[in-house]
Amino acid sequence: MKEFNIVLAGVGGQGILFASRILGTASIKEGLNVRVSEIHGMAQRGGAVISNVRIGENVFAPTVLDGRADILLGFEPLETIRNLKFTSEKTFILMNDEAVPPPELARTQREYPSLDEIIKKIRRFTEKIVIIKAADLALKAGNILTRNVVMIGALAATELLPVKTESLREAMVELVPEKYLDMNLKAFDLGYNFVKERKVKV
Amino acid sequence: MSKTHMLLRNEPGERFLLLGNEAIARGALEAGVGIATTYPGTPASEIGDSLAAVASEAGLYMEYSTNEMVAVEVAAGAANCGVRALTAMKHVGLNVAADAFMTLAYTGVKGGYVLVSADDPNCYSSQNEQDNRLYALFSKVPCLEPSNSQEAKDMTVSAFQLSEKLELPVLLRTTTRVSHTRGPVIYGKLVKPKLKGEFLREPNRLVMVPANARKMHIKLLDKIEKAERISEESPYNFIARKGNGEIGIISSSSAYNYAVEASEILGLNAEILKLGMTHPVPQKMIREFLEKHEKVVIVEELEPYLELQVRTIAEEYELDVAVYGKMYGKYFPRNGELSTRLTLTGLAEITGKKSPINFKEIDEKYAEAVENLPSRPPILCPGCPHRASTYVIKKVTGGKAVYPTDIGCYALGFMPPLKIGDSVICMGSSVSMAQGIRKATDKDVVAIIGDSTFFHAAIPGLINAVYNNHKITLAVMDNLTTAMTGHQPHPGTGITGMKEKAEKVLVEKVAEGCGVKYVKVVNPFKIDEASRILKEAIQYPGPSVVVFRAPCALMLTNEKIRKGIKIKPCKLTDKCTNCMACIELLGCPALIIDRGKVKIDENLCVGCGLCSSICPYKAIECSETFQEVSE
Repeated sequence: MKEFNIVLAGVGGQGILFASRILGTASIKEGLNVRVSEIHGMAQRGGAVISNVRIGENVFAPTVLDGRADILLGFEPLETIRNLKFTSEKTFILMNDEAVPPPELARTQREYPSLDEIIKKIRRFTEKIVIIKAADLALKAGNILTRNVVMIGALAATELLPVKTESLREAMVELVPEKYLDMNLKAFDLGYNFVKERKVKV
Repeated sequence: MSKTHMLLRNEPGERFLLLGNEAIARGALEAGVGIATTYPGTPASEIGDSLAAVASEAGLYMEYSTNEMVAVEVAAGAANCGVRALTAMKHVGLNVAADAFMTLAYTGVKGGYVLVSADDPNCYSSQNEQDNRLYALFSKVPCLEPSNSQEAKDMTVSAFQLSEKLELPVLLRTTTRVSHTRGPVIYGKLVKPKLKGEFLREPNRLVMVPANARKMHIKLLDKIEKAERISEESPYNFIARKGNGEIGIISSSSAYNYAVEASEILGLNAEILKLGMTHPVPQKMIREFLEKHEKVVIVEELEPYLELQVRTIAEEYELDVAVYGKMYGKYFPRNGELSTRLTLTGLAEITGKKSPINFKEIDEKYAEAVENLPSRPPILCPGCPHRASTYVIKKVTGGKAVYPTDIGCYALGFMPPLKIGDSVICMGSSVSMAQGIRKATDKDVVAIIGDSTFFHAAIPGLINAVYNNHKITLAVMDNLTTAMTGHQPHPGTGITGMKEKAEKVLVEKVAEGCGVKYVKVVNPFKIDEASRILKEAIQYPGPSVVVFRAPCALMLTNEKIRKGIKIKPCKLTDKCTNCMACIELLGCPALIIDRGKVKIDENLCVGCGLCSSICPYKAIECSETFQEVSE
């Protein structure tokens, strides 16, 4: 494998950096070369957050080139649209349907676009899109904050990743504090089964 | 049983996933650093934070100093006693520390001293995007530039060795992409820190009165000549890719990564000279590289730092080579962050090769998709006390005063709807610029500054206001932490980098000590009282200080989660007339519009109650416990 590119996009506070770290750690466990690029500091404060995970022997640059994402993991619908630049018809998109309205909308008295509108826009770039009810599943696991792990579980179920599902689980054991581990593993399974049960065609 | 911290695992040869900044911390641990100092600043913060996390267990001393100059001076003191020392800061921090740093190059050091500067191309979290490699040239100290986490770790270890060999400070320069990218790092051995050394009197070397300084400058020139010979032999300067001789690329840092991938995509058979030690540059090596190629492209981020030197070498030796970069022809930008795409586009233009990726098509399709897409810039968090303080300032002054603000989260108050913030240039500039603005306009001026920034840079400015009797009001937004960079402690918090208890230095006491006669502390969530006091402060016939004190909402939320206290969001009652006052006045992200009606997003609201106290119809209910946790 020369390169496998994942773009994770959403809003500060959705656990995107941690999700990226799970992917990166799993890659290391399998002896793969990897780069995980993050945004910290001011840019995180409730703003749009983007992280890139690039796996493969030919990977040098920390960031994904336009049109070259294999996966776009959208944690928020509008942020998924904002990052369509990285996609092509080959890109597989998993999108959490949980809307976080940007304050600009309220200020300018505009409504958040409908999910149908959003999906229509996305389909102009790729047909390969699965909607994940990550917030509901995270609550089912015990805490809304596990939505990031739900998304990783869902991603694992696509079997597109160059890392094994077992390595992702091992990475979680390593990274998640013990008292939250069971809840996170449950969230992972819920995300995983959500995709498996829908028999998503990849 | 708690797990051993990843940075303290003594498993040489094992591979770990580390952030560039963590890799630097690990490098310092493998070099047996005895003293580490820092002032937090993105993208450098995790270097100090990582060392703080392991300091007592590893047996080294770590401190959050009040500012970067103090950090350099503390470390320089230790390094001159033979103890290995490191200071980490963001690029603009080196401007603050420059006074110390420039002359420290003259005196040199005994124990290894590494200054890490993390530059921020594209200003992700900064007020400018200066290229600090120029500081290496300016001060005549060696500079190492890692391109990934492995190099960040290795070069940190090497930087200490180099520093001791030359008896010079060494600048380790990263960029946001190096500091904030995780990559594999193969560990070396941990070395037990050496904490104690000896101070030997060497006035001719250390007392920089003119007679001594003149002599030490000559010594410095000798040292940097020696450094150039080291640069020629450095394992960090090497041919990273073989080519067919037609075209050569010289690159460093993150730009090197883009150069490799862009060449690959273009099918360009370029030979790449990768420079890791970029001051002094290996002149002979560069000359030989230029002689081998007809065309040489310099791929670098920000300033044409390497290009300038490469061109000088080509000129001096009258070499028959065409040099391409950003000085002439402008194949690459001198601003912003470089990328694989920008590198690819520049290389395509230079070589006449066609990009296999149709960027124009992607851009057009993308532009259509994001048309009218609402932006999502950074914003004050739900429950942020700065929102309350800024609201009070706006209410009292009617938005008619001038508001110089400063470096910190509260600078976001300049955004709509609050729009309070008229200038930011550097740490501490609010209080001093306010004085000039007042003098030049006679308008009311309310300067805004955070607690950590106050200790960092406001005190001389405040004394100036007292001494020269400038009638300004300084609003200190004291949220009891250094919030924006990740909640590091500061002199007002009563805790040190070693997690030990310390004397709390209080802003109000400092202000009184500076000679300010009107000093008051308020709770910004008690709007009426805070407003009354701010009004009084503005009317006071001399400089005045109002400390708006309430803990950072993120810090408080985390504390509540830790203590198992439930966070109760505010509730909208049926008294709501949908007048939109809350949304229009506060801009809190937890206040949203759903099908034309105001709604509180319960996932975001932390129940600070600010909207409840400003609602004209008293239509928002709040348990008002949010701010009641902290000690």
